[in-house]
Amino acid sequence: MIPLTRHIRILFFAVLLSLCSSSVFANAYREKDKQAKIARTAMTVLPPRDWNRLKYRPGKYTEVWTLDGEQLNEVTFYAGIQHGKPIVKERNKKHSPLPKFKSNILLMEIPELLEGTYRAHRYVGNFTLTSAKPHVFLGYEGVYFTYNFTDRDELPRKGEARATIAKDKLYMVTFDAPRLHYFERTIGDFRSLADTAALAE
Amino acid sequence: MKWIVQFSLAVSFAVSASAASKKKTVPAPPPPPYAGAYQPQGVDEIGLWREDDERERKLADSPLLIRDESLNAYVRNVFCSTVGLDRCNSVRIYVVRVPVFNATMTANGTMSVYSGLLLRARTEAELAAVLGHEFGHFERRHLLERFKASRKSTDLLSWAAVLTSMSRSRQLYQSFDMLQFSVLGNYYRFGRNQEREADILGIGYLNAGTLLPQAASRVWRNLILEAEASAAARGLKKPDFDRISFFSSHPSRGERANYLYALAAPDALGRGEGAERYAEALAPWITSFLDDQIALNDFGASDFIIGRIAESGWTADLWRVRGDLYRRRGHQRDLMNAADFYSKAIKLNPNLAAAQRGLGLSLIKTGRKSEGISALEEYLQLKPNASDAAMIRLTISSIGEPK
Repeated sequence: MIPLTRHIRILFFAVLLSLCSSSVFANAYREKDKQAKIARTAMTVLPPRDWNRLKYRPGKYTEVWTLDGEQLNEVTFYAGIQHGKPIVKERNKKHSPLPKFKSNILLMEIPELLEGTYRAHRYVGNFTLTSAKPHVFLGYEGVYFTYNFTDRDELPRKGEARATIAKDKLYMVTFDAPRLHYFERTIGDFRSLADTAALAE
Repeated sequence: MKWIVQFSLAVSFAVSASAASKKKTVPAPPPPPYAGAYQPQGVDEIGLWREDDERERKLADSPLLIRDESLNAYVRNVFCSTVGLDRCNSVRIYVVRVPVFNATMTANGTMSVYSGLLLRARTEAELAAVLGHEFGHFERRHLLERFKASRKSTDLLSWAAVLTSMSRSRQLYQSFDMLQFSVLGNYYRFGRNQEREADILGIGYLNAGTLLPQAASRVWRNLILEAEASAAARGLKKPDFDRISFFSSHPSRGERANYLYALAAPDALGRGEGAERYAEALAPWITSFLDDQIALNDFGASDFIIGRIAESGWTADLWRVRGDLYRRRGHQRDLMNAADFYSKAIKLNPNLAAAQRGLGLSLIKTGRKSEGISALEEYLQLKPNASDAAMIRLTISSIGEPK
């Protein structure tokens, strides 16, 4: 017979193991040239350089990657947002609902969805769309857009994003960084990362 | 324990002031004579002002600041004519682009006026009521008092915690819990009483001025209606506007609407409100403020605000903003309404590119593709260098044959 204390010890390790296996979303490296799945979906990227993936995820189907910290350069992947769902998790469904993605959305309305989410969720004071043009993303016809906004920390930021709708789901990747210095410094890294995004069949 | 006596005296003064207001008999007294340029006194106030000076320096550089000279001059002018020229020189006003109903005051005389307040006020008198209230905080040195009250409350609780932890008596632990409730409750009630006092001072300035003081009560009534519209659109229970929760920083909106009406001088009912002057001063900004508001995803409140502004007549921009509001919510029924609103905007101003764009997108989504495409083509003609022109061209070519 196994003594009780041993039972407890086994149980403890079992719990620890299960915790380890479920903590896929701890802060983690995303190493160069190693294919990475985004939020356990069919969306993948092949990072051309090392990145950090943050534990913090604004929504179930999202991931945040950064080089120097999310306030300095923040890449957010939105991988397969379903019809009727907000693109990030709502803080309060009843009292501060977020705009929902609808599968009949037109590509040029996607920037408005991002704007509404930024304003209502991040309390962004101003948001201006500076350009929007057609772009093939994940092999589908999509939109490539740029924008300026001022976050709650009152630091003016620039953003760039690519988005598409595949099989009635929204796929998008955004890059936000302070307008001064950081945007220009790391935009190249973002672009080469976003170029490798693919959708497994 | 001298401070407890002072504290309770202050509270009872303010409570009796607000209780007096409920009798609906005595209008608020005119403001006391102004003492002139004030300098901070004592280590607390000097320190507080220094901190505020630093915050003000940052605020003056904020990217959210609206630097439009004429708008700033107008707000300042309304403020100065409300509180009087001698008082107004002690305050700097900063208009910030934040789509929330608010205005703030710091101890050193920095006043921030939010664009959400400018959007919701419809007359000079309504704006003056809020600015007067904020100045009331400054004139009575409320922020210093609040700082002291918070320090005294936390000091008392810290010492009580130390003393309680030294004993092992269960009864003492229970007493500490009760003391905690009592001190915190008192602190928040103290803050609410300061708000009441500032309200009384604010309406006092209005009574002594030339604008309609009854407008102050209307500000709160409209906020109540807006909150009701917001809750109704979200399918929520009607909020209770008379309830004050334990940690409320302000008196309830219902209470404020009532006592502000009672405190307004009854013989001032014939005065003007400056609605035209206000509309004229805000005209260059109102559409941008509305665009900020509709992006907040609060359908009921936004529709209510648009409706209120439209009371003085619908303009092409107002129809366009309403169209955008409905199109963003995006139910099929909303898209039909949105198309209707955009058409009305175009009827009033056929050169309004944003309305043509919205009309095109709404029609395409409701299945009226050829009409939608012609609206989008119209948009491109009006604004060939639009930031999304390439996307629009793609939509036109992917949906059907352009004309």
